[in-house]
Amino acid sequence: MADRSNARFGAMNRRSFLGTVAAGVGVAALPKMSFAADKPTLVTSIRSLSNPYHAVWKSGAEAFAKSVGIDHVTLVSEGNSEKGIADIKAMLAKTGGNMVLNSDPNDTPDARPIVEACAKAGAYVVTQWNKPKDLHPQDFNPYYVCHIEFDGVASGKQIAEILFKSIGGSGGIIALGGQISNTAAIERKKGLEEALAANPDIKLLDFQVANWKSSEAYDLTANLLTRFGDQVKGVWAANDDMGTGALEALRAEGLAGKVPVVGVDGIKAAVDAVRNGEFAATVTSDPFWQGGMGLSIALQALQKKFDPATQPPDHREFYGKAVLIDKDNVQAYYKNNIESQPVVDWNDIWGRVTGPIRT
Amino acid sequence: MTADIDNLKSVRGAARPSLIGAARRLTSGRAAPLLVLIALCVLITIANPSFIEPRNLIRIANSSAVPLTLAMGLTFIILLGSIDLSVEGSLSIAAMVVVLLATNDANSNHFGWFAVVAAIAASTAMGFASGLVQTMLRIPSFMATLGVWFIGLGISVYMLGGSAVRLMDPSIRDLALARFLGLPLGVWVALGAFGLACTIQYYTRLGRHIVAVGGAEDLAELSGVNVRRVRILAFGLAGFFFGIAGVLAAAQLGRSDAVIADGRLFAAVTAVVVGGTALTGGEGGVINTLIGVLIVTVLGNGMILLGVSPYVQQTVQGLMIIAAVALSLDRQRLQIVK
Repeated sequence: MADRSNARFGAMNRRSFLGTVAAGVGVAALPKMSFAADKPTLVTSIRSLSNPYHAVWKSGAEAFAKSVGIDHVTLVSEGNSEKGIADIKAMLAKTGGNMVLNSDPNDTPDARPIVEACAKAGAYVVTQWNKPKDLHPQDFNPYYVCHIEFDGVASGKQIAEILFKSIGGSGGIIALGGQISNTAAIERKKGLEEALAANPDIKLLDFQVANWKSSEAYDLTANLLTRFGDQVKGVWAANDDMGTGALEALRAEGLAGKVPVVGVDGIKAAVDAVRNGEFAATVTSDPFWQGGMGLSIALQALQKKFDPATQPPDHREFYGKAVLIDKDNVQAYYKNNIESQPVVDWNDIWGRVTGPIRT
Repeated sequence: MTADIDNLKSVRGAARPSLIGAARRLTSGRAAPLLVLIALCVLITIANPSFIEPRNLIRIANSSAVPLTLAMGLTFIILLGSIDLSVEGSLSIAAMVVVLLATNDANSNHFGWFAVVAAIAASTAMGFASGLVQTMLRIPSFMATLGVWFIGLGISVYMLGGSAVRLMDPSIRDLALARFLGLPLGVWVALGAFGLACTIQYYTRLGRHIVAVGGAEDLAELSGVNVRRVRILAFGLAGFFFGIAGVLAAAQLGRSDAVIADGRLFAAVTAVVVGGTALTGGEGGVINTLIGVLIVTVLGNGMILLGVSPYVQQTVQGLMIIAAVALSLDRQRLQIVK
């Protein structure tokens, strides 16, 4: 019984087959035609919405989309490279290539298939943070507009120097790093080491790995306080999540505000801590800017406001300027970025270029 | 029958005189985790006497508070022979509810301790949901709780909007910051949870039924135990403990984000198993888990005190887990290892 009904369900004569194919082709062609005549679509591809960093990224992208009055779509890979790439390809098909993409590829190798798919479809793409060393925007003129990173070595070094200054230039510090194999963690640690080399009076008591997590940093800091006691004069953390975890461990010992902490990312809790004098500084790549400006650069290329092929190399692959938040500017930063939505001049597309990326 | 097996066991034990066998005879199996813990403490103290300072012991107690409370809940599930993967989902739900209802920097709620009650209730409800899904839909606990984990995480992500919300209610923060008799209040809460878990396991019918179902579900059912009811209640109970742990975690870190519970599942399972509770169910208990949690925490603390490089710490932890399980499980009685 079941077999027979299945066979009948699957059976198809030539007419209905041709009819189905025609309908399918019609549907496939439809969005291309309707989109092609229309405005381009702005597309953001990020890892997740469950971390504050990418949440701010998305709000920057939306602020830019609103400023130019173009539809914006956010694709979330949830840490799954294949999903990230497949979603982008689906968007390319849907828009017929009439789109700009600002992507934070989930993993380094992902950048190549993303860029190749965009170039093939005629979409303009900007990548941030992750790309293979041998993938260059110049090889995909004009569609691969540029690649933006932030110099982890410089950030790690900058916050270390501020920490050293805030403890009076001598004494012991402890350091909390991110995942051992992570590029950003390695770079920021290198920056710390450079700063230590330049300041022989500062002693690195111990470097521990807290895997970017607040809870691990909390326990590690408590343990390090046992080992080193009063020798701990400051805490260097490779991101703010770990820094705030360390701060809470210090607070449980009555040391918050006495032992300064520094971190990277500029999350709200860290900015608050800078205001309270518990953090000495934090530095941020400004995800709001990253989210909006990546789209702005790609859109200007699509609208032929500039030709990517004629841009100098340091406009194609560059380090963006990180924003330092310390006690001198924290009030202004808080007022402009946390209490209200930041105001960014989205037309100043090369304003934060600091130089070419080290190879 | 029993005598035969025992005979067989002693013959086998004698036939294979190994180092582990010898160590286990010395430690007679059940007390092994405790001896491991004592040995660890002695060794670390010799290497770095500041381990034994009261200040450090208090820090160890403080670090153990959240894992202990979590592991109390998980112990009942593992005793049942099931697994609860929803640890991280339930914990993040509780932490999310408590920060969003108590004074915080994202909205204007000030429900104070009502927030704590709501958080524990929410997490308990998640536990009951796991139990109901498992018994009513006949879905294995592994999949049912995996689903509940992601549902919980998804809800927290949605409610927190991806950002970290700070907990600013001073009386709840006092769980981490205020002390009674030298110990942070959170530690007392964890000890209270431990006392409650002991009471449930040793002095209530539910506790004995859980062990019975874990030991042999069909026998328990034939003896008149309502297995469904026991399962649902056990998962609800686990959710209750996860809720307390979530409140403690939020109080300690002074904030909550969706990933506040990252990595807690494996830490809790490790502690339960290292303590000597068998993953097959029916063997072990909450006292074992207390020791398991202390082993894991003391080891973490000790490795920092000894200055073990972060690059090898994970390896040491892995070795430790295998060693502790090897010493404590009476593997001769296991007919199949899978």
